[in-house]
Amino acid sequence: MVKVRTILLYLVAVVVAAVPLVPLGLLFALALSEHPVYVRGLTLANFEFLKTGVLFPGDPHRSKIYPNVYTAAANTLLLALGNMALVTLISSMAGYVISRYSFRGRSALLGTFLVIHGVPASVMLVALYYLLKATGLLNTLLGVVLVKMAVDLPLGVWVLKGFYDGIPWDTEIAALVDGTSRFGAFFRVMLPLVSPGIFSIALFSFLSGWGEFIFVYTFIQSSTNWTLSMLIQSLFASEMGGINLALIAALSVFYLVPVLVLFVVGEKYLVRVTIGGVKG
Amino acid sequence: MRVSRELSKKLIIGVMLTPAVVVAVLFLAVPAALTILISLTELDYRFKWIWCGLNNYARLLTDPTTRLVVQATAIYVAGTLAFNTLWGLCLALLSTHVHDALGTFMRAAWLLPRVLPSVVWAMLMMWIFSPLDAGFLNSLIINMGGQPVPWTFRYYWPFLFVVNGFIGSSLSAIIFSSAIKSIPPDYIIAAKVDGASSFTIITRIILPMIKWHIAFFVAYNTLSLLASFEYILLTLNGGPGYYTTEVMILRAYHLAFGQYMVAMDFGYAATHVTILLVVGLVLSIAYWRVFRLRRLMIEPKLE
Repeated sequence: MVKVRTILLYLVAVVVAAVPLVPLGLLFALALSEHPVYVRGLTLANFEFLKTGVLFPGDPHRSKIYPNVYTAAANTLLLALGNMALVTLISSMAGYVISRYSFRGRSALLGTFLVIHGVPASVMLVALYYLLKATGLLNTLLGVVLVKMAVDLPLGVWVLKGFYDGIPWDTEIAALVDGTSRFGAFFRVMLPLVSPGIFSIALFSFLSGWGEFIFVYTFIQSSTNWTLSMLIQSLFASEMGGINLALIAALSVFYLVPVLVLFVVGEKYLVRVTIGGVKG
Repeated sequence: MRVSRELSKKLIIGVMLTPAVVVAVLFLAVPAALTILISLTELDYRFKWIWCGLNNYARLLTDPTTRLVVQATAIYVAGTLAFNTLWGLCLALLSTHVHDALGTFMRAAWLLPRVLPSVVWAMLMMWIFSPLDAGFLNSLIINMGGQPVPWTFRYYWPFLFVVNGFIGSSLSAIIFSSAIKSIPPDYIIAAKVDGASSFTIITRIILPMIKWHIAFFVAYNTLSLLASFEYILLTLNGGPGYYTTEVMILRAYHLAFGQYMVAMDFGYAATHVTILLVVGLVLSIAYWRVFRLRRLMIEPKLE
């Protein structure tokens, strides 16, 4: 009796665990499909665009509307790397100070970061649009990187503060007693010790920048500055009649490769960001 | 010597903290203030500041779409929140009652929709649940000789709950399962020795012990759902029909950046956002109080 229940429990667990993998499997099947709409057969023809980056080589008119796939991929990479570098750099410094120093306004600052993180910055789009327009950063990748970085920063500060908090004071004091300066202790003792935290935030902010859509959609007009998310969305919006879904699926698979690789490598670290971000 | 140490402390704080503070002020505090200011103007595509006092707020009160928008927001937040919490609880309970390797794999698999770029996830769900015959589920049904179902056309709310809930429930599952794992095993063993069934253990021991985590998730998730519209924008975009799934923040987005350049009604859009900002601020201050109070109560026990 107990055995049957245990087997049943495991069966349910396996099925439930497989559910979120089904849509992904379908995407791969569609990308390899011979039919443009239905999942049928097995072919690599949909990945032809990888050779030149042109999506519709037989249709020069449509090719002109959409940017080269590699241009879009380069823009996406730039956004992801820019976001990663800025968020990691700024939050690893701020997290250290907030964790190790007491100063006036510390708890107010932490509280502000928490409130800001709780209210997603997408609500500020109108004001951000105005600011970017006023500073001439509208329709540039730099503008998107700056906005994106500002949005991801509060989470980064909170998570890294948690990692610094986890390192005992004794380690740092030992370094100071040995004659290192505070800066030296930070760079040579603390930073290596919180490297898992830095890796977590770097991974998170890279993926966050790589997948970003709303800011690109709102702030970027010219298609030479499009990212892959924008390219896929506009293809899907205009091809929804089902003209060539398999091609869009193939492009999505191309878009997903870094995401899946990083997910498999760093899933453990991403969970830590997820928990750290809401511990408050 | 003492003075120089004080000075170096200030220098370190200054150098290392300034970038974060500058970013927070420039990109988060200034836009928040700017949003409130814009809501008092008739700012449009010409980008001229025409002050109009509280006219936009009066317009919001008399606008016939406001009722629809508020209604959609309530359904969206309540439905997605219920899905996230209940399904996250199921995932957490299931993944902590099987072997740890399977449980970890399960939570990792459910994290996947959250990690996928929003565009790809939305596109996949639109294809699977497409009301057209070419949609994945409908093509399966037709192959088996059934009648196609107008999925997103008829069941638009359940569709949105699933699209958002697959992403939200991964977060609740992780929070709840780490809370369940931190329950001392003695309690559960003792209950088992006394002959309690698994159901009793869950309702009488596990759920009461993680109720604060559930409360925290509900509080936190309400805030983020009030301001979330990315997946609605990417899938149903306020439709089908007249403002059926147009939540408040999506309405603001459409007013400002809608399809036609005649949109660009920044002033009225900012009015919607300001209302949401105020609701969000009040809620987060209330939560801050509640959860800090709890921490104060629990601290002496840990000493």
